[in-house]
Amino acid sequence: MPKYSEDFTPQEMIVVAGSRTLIDNKVVFAGTGLPMVAITLAQLTHGPGIVPVFEAGAVGPELSRGLPLSVGGSRTTYKANYLLGLNSAFELTQRGFCDFGFIGGAEIDPYGNLNSTMMGSFPDGYNKPKTRLPGSGGASDMACSCERTIIIMVHEPRRFNEKIDYITSPGYLDGSPNARWRAGMAGQGPYRVITTKAIMGFDDETKRMKLIATLPGETVTSVQEATGFKLIIPDDVYAFEPPTVEEVRLIREVIDPKGYFVRKKIKE
Amino acid sequence: MYWTGLSPDEARQFLANKDKSKRDKRISLKEAVQKYVKDGDNLGIAGFVNARQPIAIVHEIIRQGRKDLTLSFQSAGLAPEYLCGAMCLDDSKNSIKRMELAYLAHEAFGISPLLRYLTEKSLVELEDWSNYNMSARFKAGSIGLPFIPCRSPMGSDMLKTNRAVVQDCPFTNRPIMLLPASHPNVALVHVQEADIYGNCRIQGPLFTCPEISMASAHTIVTCDRLIEHEDMVRYPNRISIPYFSVDAVIEVPYGAYPGNSNGLYYYDEKHIPEFRIACEKFRKGDRAPLQEYYDNYIFGVEDTTGFINRIPLSQIQYVEKIEPGIRLDAAYTVLGS
Repeated sequence: MPKYSEDFTPQEMIVVAGSRTLIDNKVVFAGTGLPMVAITLAQLTHGPGIVPVFEAGAVGPELSRGLPLSVGGSRTTYKANYLLGLNSAFELTQRGFCDFGFIGGAEIDPYGNLNSTMMGSFPDGYNKPKTRLPGSGGASDMACSCERTIIIMVHEPRRFNEKIDYITSPGYLDGSPNARWRAGMAGQGPYRVITTKAIMGFDDETKRMKLIATLPGETVTSVQEATGFKLIIPDDVYAFEPPTVEEVRLIREVIDPKGYFVRKKIKE
Repeated sequence: MYWTGLSPDEARQFLANKDKSKRDKRISLKEAVQKYVKDGDNLGIAGFVNARQPIAIVHEIIRQGRKDLTLSFQSAGLAPEYLCGAMCLDDSKNSIKRMELAYLAHEAFGISPLLRYLTEKSLVELEDWSNYNMSARFKAGSIGLPFIPCRSPMGSDMLKTNRAVVQDCPFTNRPIMLLPASHPNVALVHVQEADIYGNCRIQGPLFTCPEISMASAHTIVTCDRLIEHEDMVRYPNRISIPYFSVDAVIEVPYGAYPGNSNGLYYYDEKHIPEFRIACEKFRKGDRAPLQEYYDNYIFGVEDTTGFINRIPLSQIQYVEKIEPGIRLDAAYTVLGS
């Protein structure tokens, strides 16, 4: 049997990349959808000690009753080790109990700032946006107060912009030295950006996004072409190891057999 | 500075004059909404996205019609979407003036079509906050503080349009965010279990339900089951909302349907999309499916029992079947015994 899968989907690639980025025994604040799949995959492979936290209150549950449809759903609470509500989950995060947070957005800038609030002119057009998005939810709290964040994005030029319409979840703000500290934030900021095309990180000095690895089927050029701003391209960019047959099997057969999140079409 | 709902001093005064007696608070949902929900009120919507949303209460508000409402919530889905739909169909009967919110959508089920419709047409005023912000604002209200400090989301554009104040902490000299308390006129809460006095026992996550109730002037509680008071007070530290914070208790089985009520019924993965698709069609210009939905499931029925009667029994049985059930067991086994 070949080691690597030959028919994985973009979502499965994101899940595998997200899973491999996680470290065993860390506390991971999870959003709905692909992050939950990534955490479960990590638990079933290299990270059995990963502790998931859901913003509606559940800490360290077993996810064996099926994939939750919501971070507030019953399936997030099975055998949880602590369970109160939103205040308690965010208080833990603010205190420093959450090592990683998984977040996303409709657009991102080179400094890892994310927009999930509105498209249009801000602040003038705040009450008449071109497109209204769902809003922050807990993402902006995770962006500020988890020790590090992992950002998941669909990789399209229009989502990667030098300037975004609205900063919902702050990354490195304008990239100036100690911008987050000066703004009063507690956490260290974005750690990785995982997309349908690449894994990226941030330059230590300028805090601008840099390419780390290209996903299967992509090249440095194809990734740069799909990005609406100039990426830093270091010399040591590498090709990311494709999903293994076993990882894809776990996703399809064990974690998300109904295909709620991984078989969903990536939306426009 | 302005307050929506009550100011902290008004909220304190209101509670000072409130009847806190331990009395039977059962009335009909119709009466509760007539008595406590007024035009222009700020309503605190409990639950989280589509879990334990106060659907029965919201349907009754829509049947009676209320105007110029302010809705305050952290993350919500069906409850505000239903109120938005009622406004879209007839704004002379139901209308929302303003929403103070962190998130309005349906997670895995998709975005909120009517939030898009109403905001893109500039028909409602918004104040964006994070989930922690809204939860902490209710918490400040519930503990009698006019504001609460918070460390997120510093640096976000939300701070440019909401009432948060950033100033230097007097102790660390670092910037800190201060959030104004939220004191809604009425909290709308659905729980699994309540007694006739209004004590509530919540199963699963508490979300921000205790804080929203304790911060508000009035609280209407619907419960899936009314239980004996003796059974409630057997586990005093499992009472999530104390009776004196509650004004009306109504037993409404399936009061959070088609959403999730932990331990009793899971999300209805057929009905939620049925409603959401009608909303999406309205946004794109086709009004008929939404009108039909409301005529069939809200205006065409008396109450939640009437609504549930229009759902196939097999669908209700399924959402109950896949929910694992409630276990409240105080017994234990001594380690090593």
